Amino acid sequence: MINSILKYGLISVLLILLQVLVLNNIQFSGYVNPYVYIIIILILPSLTPSWLILLIGFATGLIIDLSAGSPGMHASATLLAGFARPFVLRVIAPRDGYDPGSSLSMASYGFRWFVIYATAIVLIHHGALFFIEVFRFTDFFRTILRILLSSVFTLGFVLLIEYYRKGR
Amino acid sequence: MRNLLNFLLKYNNIIVFLILEGIAFYWLTNGNAYHNSRMVKSIQGLTRGMEERITNAKNYLSLRDVNSGLAEENSKLLNRLEQLSLVQDPGFISVNDSTSGQQYNYTPARVINNSVNKQKNFITINKGSLQGIKPDMALTDGRNVVGLVVGCSRNFSVAISLLNLDFRLSSRLKSSGYFGSLTWDGRNPRYAALNEIPQHISVTQGDTVETTAFSAVFPEGIGIGRVSEIKKSGSDFYRITVELFTDFRQVQYVNVIGNLLREEQLELESQYQ
Repeated sequence: MINSILKYGLISVLLILLQVLVLNNIQFSGYVNPYVYIIIILILPSLTPSWLILLIGFATGLIIDLSAGSPGMHASATLLAGFARPFVLRVIAPRDGYDPGSSLSMASYGFRWFVIYATAIVLIHHGALFFIEVFRFTDFFRTILRILLSSVFTLGFVLLIEYYRKGR
Repeated sequence: MRNLLNFLLKYNNIIVFLILEGIAFYWLTNGNAYHNSRMVKSIQGLTRGMEERITNAKNYLSLRDVNSGLAEENSKLLNRLEQLSLVQDPGFISVNDSTSGQQYNYTPARVINNSVNKQKNFITINKGSLQGIKPDMALTDGRNVVGLVVGCSRNFSVAISLLNLDFRLSSRLKSSGYFGSLTWDGRNPRYAALNEIPQHISVTQGDTVETTAFSAVFPEGIGIGRVSEIKKSGSDFYRITVELFTDFRQVQYVNVIGNLLREEQLELESQYQ
């Protein structure tokens, strides 16, 4: 228990550092901004109580906001992703339900399941984030395009990291 | 009872969610650039050291470009100096009093944080109130517009970049003198839009767009960009796309320009508005 909490904390710190120090500095174009810190919400064990997910989501977003200098954007988007997580999990539950002890990883539930799960959460998060960032509905389709392109890149990162976790 | 408890538990989550989301949105709508920058400055100390180091490395890699830019500017200034001394030499007694005649003062600074990929981009520079930087000072990269200082801590300042949806700049066409306002549409960091130029004047591709002194922030005639596309819209105004002179991806050294007569101008104007 303690061990897994420590491991989870370490992963979270590494992800936040990766986001703040590397990915936030990549100026690829206005369309692609991967936000990989969402993995922190993705891989919480299935047993985690919902209020804790909300708090962790909010805290993560807050840290990203403070270091990126954006007011509340990431906090509200990550919070929404954390709020949506139980519903997503319920909709895509495998036939025998979730194994209470295992983490929600590709190793436990398979590639297909994980991709659907990650796609849903990433789209919710990025959708909220980019619309909050522009804060208007003009240029609607351009924002949609930014959401889709960034989601693709984030998912790429997520799968990469997930393969690495699976391999160990 | 059990059902009730379950219900309350479920309800609790929504309450927690709504409260936290409320906090986030309160921050989002009230966190204007100034307060935000102040709060961020106090907490960003964590990553500041690393960011400075990353910026140092980046600066080193592009020293060649910076050097050639500086050399170019130097020669321009030398030329200007020559012209001025020619005028002053023959016979006249010129009073070179910097306190009464000077309108703008320039402070060099280094960019330590910058972005071009967001919708609302800000620039952090390494000079603050201790070095005499104040909000509403202009930022140029030596020749061309970069942004506008919005908040200062003791040693750092945050400037709103031209690449920000909230940035509006009074600007004019150098050829005809007609003025309009320049905004960025959030798409491409190389292009901005010049609005409110009436359709009865002639605009040609390649016309230079420069600042006016209307805002009492930028000196007159600082370069902004070049007209790259002219469209006639349904209204009375052109839709003009301007290719910016400044490449915001590699802005490193900036000049902070303070208008010493700004207060006087604004005070006088406020009496009639």
